[in-house]
Amino acid sequence: MSGDSLSKWLMIAWLLPLLGFVVEIFFGYYSRNPRRSKAAAWFAVGCIGTGFICSVIAFTQWCSMTGAFDGESGWLAARVHAHDADDNDADDNDADDNDADDNDAEHHDGHSGHDDGEAKGHDSDDSSPSDAAGAAEAPAEEEAASDEAAVLREGGHLLAVAEDEGDDHSHGHDGPKGEFSGVIYTLGTFGGITLSMDYYIDSLTLVMFMMVTLIATCIHLFAMGYMSDELTDDYVDHFAHTADGKHVHRPGRFYRFFAFLSLFCFAMLGLVLAGNIFQVFVFWELVGICSFLLIGFYTERKTASNAANKAFIMNRVGDFGFLIGLMVLLTYFGTFRFGDTKVDGEVVEQGLFSMVTRDATGNFVRDDITGEVLLTDTHGHALTEGGENRTIPYMLLVVAGLGVFAGCVGKSAQFPLQTWLPDAMEGPTPVSALVHSATMVAAGVYLTGRFFPMFVQEVLLTIAYIGCITLFMAATIAVVVTDIKKVLAYSTISQLGYMMLGLGVFGWGAGLFHLVTHAFFKSLMFLCSGSVIHGCHHEQEMPKMGGLLKKMPITAITMLVGVCAIAGFPLFLGLHFSGFHSKDAIVASALAFVNANPTHFLLFFLPLLTAGITAFYMFRLWFYTFWGKPRDQHLHDHAHESPWIMTVPLLILAPFAWLCAFGGEQGYLYVLITGNDPSHLHDGVQAVTTGGLTLPGHEAVHAVHSQAGWLAMIAAFSGALLAYLLYGVGIVDLDRMKAQLSKVHGFLLNKWHFDELYDSLFMKPAHKVAAFCAWFDKAVFDNIVHGFAKVGIVIAQWDRVFDEKVVDGFVNLLGDSTKSIGNSLKVVQTGRLRQYVMFIVLGVVTLFAFVFTTFPS
Amino acid sequence: MFEQLIQDLAGDNGSLYTGLKYFSAELWLSGTIVVMLLLRLFSVDRWIPTFAVALAGSAIALWGLFGQFTELMTANTDVSIAFFGDMLRQDLFSVFFRMFLSLFLILTIALTVLTGIPDNEDAPDFYALLFGATVGMMMMASANNLLMLFLGVEMASVPSYVMVGFLKGRKPSSEAALKYVVYGAGAAGVMLYGISLVTGVLGTGDMTLLASRLALVSDGVAGLGDPEVCVVALGIMMVLAGLAFKLSLVPFHFWCPDAFEGASAEVAGFLSVASKAGAFALLVRFCLGLSGVEATAELMTAFGVALGAVAIVTATFGNLAAYTQNNLKRLLSYSTIAHAGYMLMAVAAMMVMQNSDQAAGLGQEINAAVGGLLYYLAVYMFMNLGAFAIIALVRNYTFDESIDSIRGLSSQSPALAVGMGVCVFSLIGIPPFGGFFAKLMVFAAVLKSAEIHWFMYVVLAFGGLNTVFSLFYYLKIVKAIFIEERPAEARAVTLPSMEGLYVVVLAVMVTLLGFFPAVTEGLSSIANAAGNAVLSVVGG
Repeated sequence: MSGDSLSKWLMIAWLLPLLGFVVEIFFGYYSRNPRRSKAAAWFAVGCIGTGFICSVIAFTQWCSMTGAFDGESGWLAARVHAHDADDNDADDNDADDNDADDNDAEHHDGHSGHDDGEAKGHDSDDSSPSDAAGAAEAPAEEEAASDEAAVLREGGHLLAVAEDEGDDHSHGHDGPKGEFSGVIYTLGTFGGITLSMDYYIDSLTLVMFMMVTLIATCIHLFAMGYMSDELTDDYVDHFAHTADGKHVHRPGRFYRFFAFLSLFCFAMLGLVLAGNIFQVFVFWELVGICSFLLIGFYTERKTASNAANKAFIMNRVGDFGFLIGLMVLLTYFGTFRFGDTKVDGEVVEQGLFSMVTRDATGNFVRDDITGEVLLTDTHGHALTEGGENRTIPYMLLVVAGLGVFAGCVGKSAQFPLQTWLPDAMEGPTPVSALVHSATMVAAGVYLTGRFFPMFVQEVLLTIAYIGCITLFMAATIAVVVTDIKKVLAYSTISQLGYMMLGLGVFGWGAGLFHLVTHAFFKSLMFLCSGSVIHGCHHEQEMPKMGGLLKKMPITAITMLVGVCAIAGFPLFLGLHFSGFHSKDAIVASALAFVNANPTHFLLFFLPLLTAGITAFYMFRLWFYTFWGKPRDQHLHDHAHESPWIMTVPLLILAPFAWLCAFGGEQGYLYVLITGNDPSHLHDGVQAVTTGGLTLPGHEAVHAVHSQAGWLAMIAAFSGALLAYLLYGVGIVDLDRMKAQLSKVHGFLLNKWHFDELYDSLFMKPAHKVAAFCAWFDKAVFDNIVHGFAKVGIVIAQWDRVFDEKVVDGFVNLLGDSTKSIGNSLKVVQTGRLRQYVMFIVLGVVTLFAFVFTTFPS
Repeated sequence: MFEQLIQDLAGDNGSLYTGLKYFSAELWLSGTIVVMLLLRLFSVDRWIPTFAVALAGSAIALWGLFGQFTELMTANTDVSIAFFGDMLRQDLFSVFFRMFLSLFLILTIALTVLTGIPDNEDAPDFYALLFGATVGMMMMASANNLLMLFLGVEMASVPSYVMVGFLKGRKPSSEAALKYVVYGAGAAGVMLYGISLVTGVLGTGDMTLLASRLALVSDGVAGLGDPEVCVVALGIMMVLAGLAFKLSLVPFHFWCPDAFEGASAEVAGFLSVASKAGAFALLVRFCLGLSGVEATAELMTAFGVALGAVAIVTATFGNLAAYTQNNLKRLLSYSTIAHAGYMLMAVAAMMVMQNSDQAAGLGQEINAAVGGLLYYLAVYMFMNLGAFAIIALVRNYTFDESIDSIRGLSSQSPALAVGMGVCVFSLIGIPPFGGFFAKLMVFAAVLKSAEIHWFMYVVLAFGGLNTVFSLFYYLKIVKAIFIEERPAEARAVTLPSMEGLYVVVLAVMVTLLGFFPAVTEGLSSIANAAGNAVLSVVGG
C-alpha cells in the first residue's frame, strides 16, 4: 500500500487555494473593471471547490486501500454493522429484561434510581440506528443531501448491503491501520535534526479535509453575495469615521477579501495535512495571520483593527506555550514527526507516536529505577543511547503536553484566553462562519486530538477542566448578549469547550465527532445570521429585530435547523439532529469519567447544566429574531430575504447540519473519524496509584450512554421550553426580570469582567512598567549615552590634535625627507655621458672594495 | 674551442639533431626575420602586413616551445642537457624563460599593431630588430658558457640600441640611443675583461664548472688573500657589472631613465621586461655556477650579501628617484629599476642559502626563491607591459606622455583607467593582485635566508620599507586618473574596443594571478619546477 497518489490528491487540494491566493492578490486588480469584477471570487470558489472534489477522490482511494468497503467484509461497513448488532442486542436486553445484566453492569453505579426510565429512553433512542440500517432510510438520506460527501452516500448504499451480514468483527479494533506518512520536501538537515514538510494522512485527516473544503466552498459562495457591496469604486463605510466626523470613503476590496480567504484555506488545509508538529506550528501561525487580516478587513474601523490586534496578541500567548512544548519534544525525542518514516515497509526513522508505548493498564511504560518514561522502538523495546535507556522525565512530558495544549487554548479561545473570539466578530460574517467557528478555532481541538497519544493523565485532566470552565462560562454570557453574532461567538466558545472536555475525559471520538458536527451547524448558523444582517442592512442587535420569519423564511427555517442541531434535539425515525449525537457522546464520556473518578463530578454536571443553557440561549436567539412582532417597524419594513447565492449555501449546509451525524456512534461519520483512533482508547486507562485517574474505556462509556443521553435531552428540552416561555410567549416582563437580577445580569453582560481583569492584571501593570522604562531610559540610559558621547568628543578632539601634529607630522616629515632625497638624487642623473661611463668603473671598484673589506681574507 | 664545437656539431649526427630540435624556436624566429626582410625586398608586404608574418612566426615559436615545455613537465622536470658542444643548455628553466619571452614578443607585437608604431614602411626593420633582440635574450636564458653569456648579452643589446633610437626624427630619441650605445659598450668592455680574467685563471668557460675549478685553484678555502682567487673575484665582479647593466641595477642604471624617456613607450615596455628576464636567467645560472662547492662557500656568501646590498640600494634609489618625475615613461623607468632591486633580493637569498652549510636541507627553500623570482617576472610582464601599453595608447590621442595626459582619465575612458589602476596596484603589491603574491614569495625567500645571514634581515626591512616608499609616486598616478578633473584643454581619449580589450586582458591576467588560487598555484608550481631544473646542475 502506498500513500503516494493519496497524498498527491490531498496536496492538490491543499495547494490550489495557494494558487488562488497568488492569482487573486497579484492579478485580481488586472481586469477591465477591477473593483467591480467578480472574477476573483469565482476563481477562489473554483479552487476550493476543486479542492473538495480532490478530497473526495482521495477519500475513495483511501477507502479502497484500507479496504473500507471491500465487499461485504470491508471494515467500515462491518464495523458499523457490528455496532448495530451489539446495540441491538444490548438494547433488546435492556428492554426485555429491564434488569441489570452483564453487559450493563456499569449503568447502575450510583445511578440505579434512573435505571428504569433511562433504560427505556435508551431503548427508544437507540432503536433508531437499527432502523437507520434499514434500506428504507438510506435512499431518503441520499435525497436529502444530494451532493453530500461520499461518506454518507456510500455509507447509505453499503449500509443496506451489509444489513443482514453477521457480526464476526467483535469491536472493530481489527480495523484499518490506514495511516500514511511521508516527506513532501526536506527543508534542511542540521546535525541529527531534519526539518521537512511531511504529510500524515489517516481517517481524521480525510474527514477534516472534506469538511473544511465543503464548508469553505459554501461560505465562498455565500460571501459572493454578502460582500457584493464591496463591488464598487466608492465604498462608504458607515461604521468608520474620519477626523471631521464624515464616513470613510474607500475603493471596494472585493478581490482582496477572496484572496485572504484562499490563503486561509491553504493554511488550514496545510495544518490538517501536516505530518510533523513543527509544520503544524508553521501553518498554525499562517492561519493566525489570515485571521488577523480578515478580522481587520474593515481596517478603517478602530474596533476592527483593535480586535485584529487582540486576536493576534492573545494567540501569541498560547503559542509561547506551544513553542516551549516543541522545544521539550525536540530535546528529548529528536524529531517532530508524528508517524514513522518507512522505506519499503521498513521503519527507517521513528515518529513521536511510536516512541512512547503503553502497558496493559494504558499507562506509559516507565523506567523501573528512575521512574522516567521510556522511549521505545516500534516493538516496544527501550531505545538506548550510549548503553543507557533513553527516557524523558514524566514532568517534562506533562510540560510538553501542557505547552502544546496552551497553543490550542489560544487558538480555540478556551479559558483563560477566550476574550479575543467575541471581538473577532468585527470581521465580515463569512469570516466569522469560516474562520472563527467552523475551521480555524477548531484547529486547536484538532491538534489536541491529533496529539492525543502523547498526553498523560494530568494533561488530560487539565484539558477537561479548561473545557468545562469554558463551556459553562461562555454559555452564561451568551444568555445576556444581544448582538446576534456575539451570541453565536459565545456559543462557539462554549461548544469548543465541549470538545475539549470530551477529549479531556477520554472521549477522543466524541470530541472530534462534535468538532465535525459543530462545524456544519455553526457555519450554517453564522451564515444565517449573515443573511439576517444582510437583509436588515447591517443591523446586528436582536432587540431591534423580531418577526422576520415571514420576511425571510428560508433563513429562518435553516436557522431553526441549526438551532435544533446545537441544542441537540432528537427526532423520530432516527433522524436526530447531529448535535444530539455528538453532545450525547461527550456527555456520556463525561459521565463514565465521573463514575470512575467521583471527585471530579463537576466535569459531568456543568456540561449537563450547560446543555440546557445552550438550548435556552439558542432558542432565545431564534425567537428574538424571527418570532413575535417586529420591534423596530422601520427595520422590519426594509428587511428582505437574501439573494439565491446566499440562500443556496444555507440550503446545502442545512441537511449536513441536520444529518451529518446520522446513525450517531454507529453511523458512518463517527466510525470514520475513529478509524485510526489512538489504540489505548479502547480499553481505557487504569489508575496506577491511589488518587490517580482512571480513564474509562469504550465499554464503560457505552454502558452509561443511554443514561447520559436522557439527562442531556431533558436538559435541552427544558432549556428550549424556558426560552419559548420567555421569548416566544412572553410570560414574564423581561425588563423587570433584568432589573431584579441586575447584579447577575451586569456580571454576565460584562463577560465575567474578564476584560477588566486582564486590563488590571496585565495591561495596567504593563503600562506602568512601560512608563517606568521610558523614564529610566530617558533619565539614566540617555544620560549615560550622552556622557559617552561627550567623552568621545573630547577624546576625538585630542585625537585630532595628535593626528594632525604627531602622525601627520611624522608622515609629512617622512614624505618631505624622502622627496628631498629624491630631488637630490635627480642631481646625479646629469645626462652627461662621460660621467655615466665613469660610474661604471667607479661602481665596479666600489663593489670590489665592499667585498674585499667585508670578506676576511 | 671552435674546433671542438664544429667537431661536436658535425661528428655526431644524433647530438646535432637533438641540438637543432632544442634550438628550433630561435631558428624559427631567425627564419621569420629573413622572411620579413625578403617580403619587403619583393614588395609583398603591401599585401601581407608584416606584423601578420611576425605574429605567425612568434606564435609558431611559442607553440614549439610549449611542446618542449609539456614534454619536460610530463617526463623529466629536473633534467638539464648541454648541447652544441656544451655551449647551451636545455632544461625546464631555459624553456620557461624562452616561452615567457616568446609570449611577451607576441604581446608586444600586438601592442605595436594597436598603437601604429612602427608604420608600414618601417615595420620589417622594427620587427627584425625585435626578433633579433628576442633571440639574443633566449640565448641568454640557455647559455651554459661565459662566451655564450657575452654573445647573448650583446645580441640582445645591439638591436635594443637601434630600437631606442627608432623614432628617427626625434632628437631625444637619438640622444638616448647614443647614450645607450656608449654605455652599453662600456659595460660590455668591462664584462669581457671580467670574462677573460675568469676563464684565464680557471681554464674553462663552462659556467657549471666555475666553482669546482675555483676550489682547485684556491688550494683549500678560497680567500681573497690568494692572488689568483682575488683575480677571479674581480673577474666575477666585472661580469656581474655587465649583467647589472642589463638589469639596470644601481650604479649601472644611468642609461635607463634616459633611454626609456627617449624610446617609444612600446620599446620601453619591451626592454623593461624582456631584457630583464634574460639577464636574470643568466644571473641565476652564473651565480649557481659559482655556488655549491664547500671551498668557495664563504666567498660566494659574501657575493650574495653584496648582491643584497646592491638590491637595497637599487630598490631605494629607484623608488626615491621616481618621486619627482613628471614624465610617465621616466617615472616607470625608475619603477623598473626598483623592481629589479626586489627581484635581485630573490637571487641574493638564493645565493646565500645555496652557499650555507645547510644547503642540502634547504633545497625546498632555494627552489622557492628561484620560483618566486620566476613568478615575479611573469606577473611583472603583465603589469608593466599593461602600464606602458596604456601610456602608449593615451599618447596616441594626447601626443603627451607626461602625467598631465592621464589626468581625469577615468571620466573619459573607464576601461583604460581601471586597467591602469589594476596595474599600478599590482606594481605596489596590494592584494589581491598578482604583484602581491610575487612580492610575498620573494620576501618569504629573503626571510628564510635571513636565518643564515643577518644581513638579509636588513634586505627584508628595506624591501618592506621600499614598498611604502613606492606608494607615494604610484598613488600619484592613481590620484591623477581617478580623483583629479580632466583639464578642459586636454585632448579627448576615446577608445576603439580592441585597445580596451587588450588592456582588459592584461588587467584580467594580473588579477587572475592574484585572485584565483588555482592560477596562482599553477604558475608557482611551474616556476618551482623550473627552479628545480636549474638547481639540478649546481656545483658541476
